[in-house]
Amino acid sequence: MDDFIKITFDILSFSCIMVLVVSGLAIIASLMGIFNFAHGEFVLLGAYTVFVFRETGLPVWSGMLAAPFLVGAFGLLLEITIIKRFYKAAIAAMLATYAIGLIIRETIRGLIGGKFWAIEAPIEGVFEIGDSSFSIWRGIIIIFTIVIMSGCYLFLTKTNYGLKIRGAMENPALARACGISTNKLYAFTFAFGAALAGLAGALVVPLYSLFAELGLRFLVQGFLAVMLGGAGTFEGPVLGSAMIGAMVPGFQWLRVEIPFISYLLSPVFAEVFVFITAIIIVKFRPQGLIQKGRI
Amino acid sequence: MTKIDKPRVNDASRRSFLKGTSALAAAGWIGALTGGFVLKPDWAHAAGSIKMGIATDITGGIAPSGNANWQTAQFAAKQINDAGGILGRPIELILEDTASDPGIAVGNVRRLVERHKVDVILGGITSSMREAIKNPIVKRGKTLYIYPQLYEGQECTPHLYCTGPTPYQQCAELIPYLIKQGNKRFAMPSANYRWPQLLNVWTKRIIEEHGGEVVLEEYFPIDQVEYSATVGKIKSEKVDHVFLTIIPPGLGAFTKQLYETGFHSNGGTLSCVYYDENSVNYVAPRELEGVYSCLDYFHTVDDDFSNKALAGYNEMWPGSNYKLTAGTAATGMYRGIKLYEAGVNATNGDLDREAVSAAIDGVTNVQGMGGKFSMVPGTGHAAMNMYVAQANGGKWDIIKSANQVQPNECA
Repeated sequence: MDDFIKITFDILSFSCIMVLVVSGLAIIASLMGIFNFAHGEFVLLGAYTVFVFRETGLPVWSGMLAAPFLVGAFGLLLEITIIKRFYKAAIAAMLATYAIGLIIRETIRGLIGGKFWAIEAPIEGVFEIGDSSFSIWRGIIIIFTIVIMSGCYLFLTKTNYGLKIRGAMENPALARACGISTNKLYAFTFAFGAALAGLAGALVVPLYSLFAELGLRFLVQGFLAVMLGGAGTFEGPVLGSAMIGAMVPGFQWLRVEIPFISYLLSPVFAEVFVFITAIIIVKFRPQGLIQKGRI
Repeated sequence: MTKIDKPRVNDASRRSFLKGTSALAAAGWIGALTGGFVLKPDWAHAAGSIKMGIATDITGGIAPSGNANWQTAQFAAKQINDAGGILGRPIELILEDTASDPGIAVGNVRRLVERHKVDVILGGITSSMREAIKNPIVKRGKTLYIYPQLYEGQECTPHLYCTGPTPYQQCAELIPYLIKQGNKRFAMPSANYRWPQLLNVWTKRIIEEHGGEVVLEEYFPIDQVEYSATVGKIKSEKVDHVFLTIIPPGLGAFTKQLYETGFHSNGGTLSCVYYDENSVNYVAPRELEGVYSCLDYFHTVDDDFSNKALAGYNEMWPGSNYKLTAGTAATGMYRGIKLYEAGVNATNGDLDREAVSAAIDGVTNVQGMGGKFSMVPGTGHAAMNMYVAQANGGKWDIIKSANQVQPNECA
């Protein structure tokens, strides 16, 4: 029973980390049709914000609070100056965002001296259930993720503004004809996605450490999650990233717990196996787990 | 001695310029622009200076170590030049940035050999870098090569000398000590590349020879971020000691998850043989506390020579982020320059590669950081003092030292 709780917690917590990290990417990809290759660097910027706050002597939690706003503002600025020129050319947009990402990553690499920095969580420590101990911060991330994702879902489906965003995505010309400023909506959506990425970076950085490739590490799995879940909806990619997130520790646990599998599945191959499984699912459901237009 | 004093113009500003540029270079901002950097000595000799090529990673992922190497090389060269040079001839340093990228490095190293015609090349930090540049230096370039980093062993190329500790040196003292402390069941979580794989061969052999047992040996992708299953296994297998060879970026996630299973509070211990004075930056304090390491030098090693050298280095680079430590290969770099000096002294100033190489092979009792070292003839490796240390509030308490540990390579 203890083992079961432990495994469930581990799978759930990494699943939530993936959802948190991918959600910003999902919003921008699904609602705007832009594959934001700078997403990993928005995550990195969020983490870097926490680092800057800590270095200036402010508490870590204040950096986490500020990160979504600062990164969101940065995203808004990028949208107004650069991204909005690329809505009509999806491929060019990928290249442009890739270039932006490269600039951000290398700048931050310089600012942190190319090093790795350990960052303490605002609440360190563990809680115990039975014989097993669990990270408090991972627990908090699980709760945050559920709250934030529910909030996003309700915002997009139940509010007037969410309706406008979905309308502008479905049919921009008609939306404009109805008097909706699609430019403003796009700018807001992009900034919102960036803010989510910044928040994700700020929350997960204590689990890992700050380094230039922090966001890049999650980017490939993020795109796979969007593919798996189906671009064009909000729930799809979230579900996709939850699945990818569950598979990563899931396969590792299988490997450790079942002796026969441990011979077949090395830790390196377990990582590869996540991709293979996802690609097989995409092969049989190319439209994604959830089809476009449901939200 | 024909020693001509040149006027010391702009010395301070050159140094501050250098500091500025190395900071920028570390930032990766001017890497591509530096097509080699020549640091001429303050004075000259009729026979010309001795040219040392430093090929190290000033930019890219390994830059923090590379810059420590470059600063150490400048410090060692200055020490020798201030004391009258090698047989009266000053050392001239020529830096090429290997940019943490073996592809870029090969061309830059060739420039050291062909354009600058250096007498010796020191540098390379990762094994992949050494593999990439050793042939352009030693075979095609017909130049002597000194590799300064602790590494996985089995490098037996002629005219290539290793001045960092080998796997045997890093675990021959540490493992028996750990077993004597009551650690019986070992886990070896590792990054999946050559250094951990070959280091673990030695570690495992020594663990088993001393009555210990390896219950888990696994190799992970270098950037793996999720270790819950592995740390769960470490707990359920009742592991006493984790011999860690995971490196950043995977390191942070592993140490945290291990700590959170309660491994430390249940009396489990950990060792990591590349941890040094820099580790406080990338390992959270509570996860570093009590960890064992075994290296050729720690700042807490108390001998006159090392104390003076460390003070001199800190005076030359006040407040620098790049410390003179063992894990970054800086102590190996220092040892390498002193080794070459001893070799040239032994040939009486003959800089011919074969002659210096033959002389270096038999060099004994040269002062380096952490004590004297001696080359083991015919192996290209050095016997040196090794120190087992334990992290204690950001410092490393020396708990055991061993004199002249044999490298056990290429015999």
